[in-house]
Amino acid sequence: MTDRVNGNMAEILAQKGVSRREFLKFCSIMAGTLALPASFAPKIAHALQTAQRPPVVWLEMQDCAGCTESLLRANQPTVAELVLDVLSLNYHETIMAPSGERAEKSLMDTVAQGGYLTVVEGAIPTKDDGIYCCIGGRTALDILTEVAANTAAIIAVGACAFYGGWPATTPNPTGAQGVRDVISDKPIVNLAGCPYNVDNLTATVVHYLTFNRLPEMDELGRPLFGYGRRIHDNCERRGHFDAGQFVKAWGDEGHRQGWCLYQMGCKGPVAYHNCPTIRWNEGTNWPVGAGHGCIACAGVGFWETPAYQTVEIFGQTPPSTFPAVEEEEGLSAASAGAIGGAAGLVVGVGGAVVARQIMKNETEEA
Amino acid sequence: MADKLVIDPITRIEGHLRLEIEIDGGQVTDAWSSSTMFRGLEIILPGRDPRGAWLMAQRI
Repeated sequence: MTDRVNGNMAEILAQKGVSRREFLKFCSIMAGTLALPASFAPKIAHALQTAQRPPVVWLEMQDCAGCTESLLRANQPTVAELVLDVLSLNYHETIMAPSGERAEKSLMDTVAQGGYLTVVEGAIPTKDDGIYCCIGGRTALDILTEVAANTAAIIAVGACAFYGGWPATTPNPTGAQGVRDVISDKPIVNLAGCPYNVDNLTATVVHYLTFNRLPEMDELGRPLFGYGRRIHDNCERRGHFDAGQFVKAWGDEGHRQGWCLYQMGCKGPVAYHNCPTIRWNEGTNWPVGAGHGCIACAGVGFWETPAYQTVEIFGQTPPSTFPAVEEEEGLSAASAGAIGGAAGLVVGVGGAVVARQIMKNETEEA
Repeated sequence: MADKLVIDPITRIEGHLRLEIEIDGGQVTDAWSSSTMFRGLEIILPGRDPRGAWLMAQRI
């Protein structure tokens, strides 16, 4: 972002000295992340090389800038950074040079041109006419409404922009809501998570540039490639769960041996996210790998369930699903996984009080 | 007669900040800063399971 580059992707790659081999490797990884067959890699490569820079405005509302931190950590692989460089980031409070009126002018100039992508980070307060978040003397709600009017699509990053996040936790003092609660006439993709994972933003941008539309989504507007599979089914500690080997206390022998964190309140059995596979900090690790349970941060209302309260297991828990045999974009491995997950829910509907409560909350919010 | 300069938003910081500066004869005579965003963690945290408080507090 800081190192400004010009031209389309082919020119940027040449400027940055990225080899053809490295670029194609990235395209294959993106095809995999998006749950597309490997044969889509050349199509992605072609789209990225010919893509013009879509203008992007990044709005920060009731946020902690954690999602911005996630964006700024996108420095590996090199090509991913360049894909984000392809975006013309015209407005982003935390990293832009101008302040005050000049900053707001950058925003309004982009809005006047239209056709831009809007990224929203943070919740939108709606109580008391939205006075709990003001930028340049205008409320977040007012700004979002104006910016949304001319945008091509909205990418809501993080739990707060998705459903309100922790500002919306009971008693929700500021009436915080998600983007989809206040904007209804624009395509919105929710990259849920606290924070969202920048690799999912990269993949979403790649999908948008390749197919000229947002990726296939679930009923809550989360892309299936990132949120279609259950964490529990792709967890490296799953073997210990199946073997009945559980951590009973922090620092006990089981914890030192890397056993299952379920009894310490891990929400993996009710959480849907590609966290275990793409991981964080350049693919280094993820919370469960580091020894702490999952808090189900990609779900609606997850803050309402105490982090160390055990959830009830529901459904059958099959291992990771496999990509489709046919080269068809529609039925991806992710959607196949979602169908499998729904079947599992029917099977195990018996004793799943907390799990059902979370699912119920999500349905009600939808 | 003092001039008033308003800078809002202040960029390149985390959070939302507004500055109002009063200038008289090239000298700053008074200044106000306001944080223009409120979420109310102080209202949300009381009554919750204390073991999870750090997870919310680290996201301020």
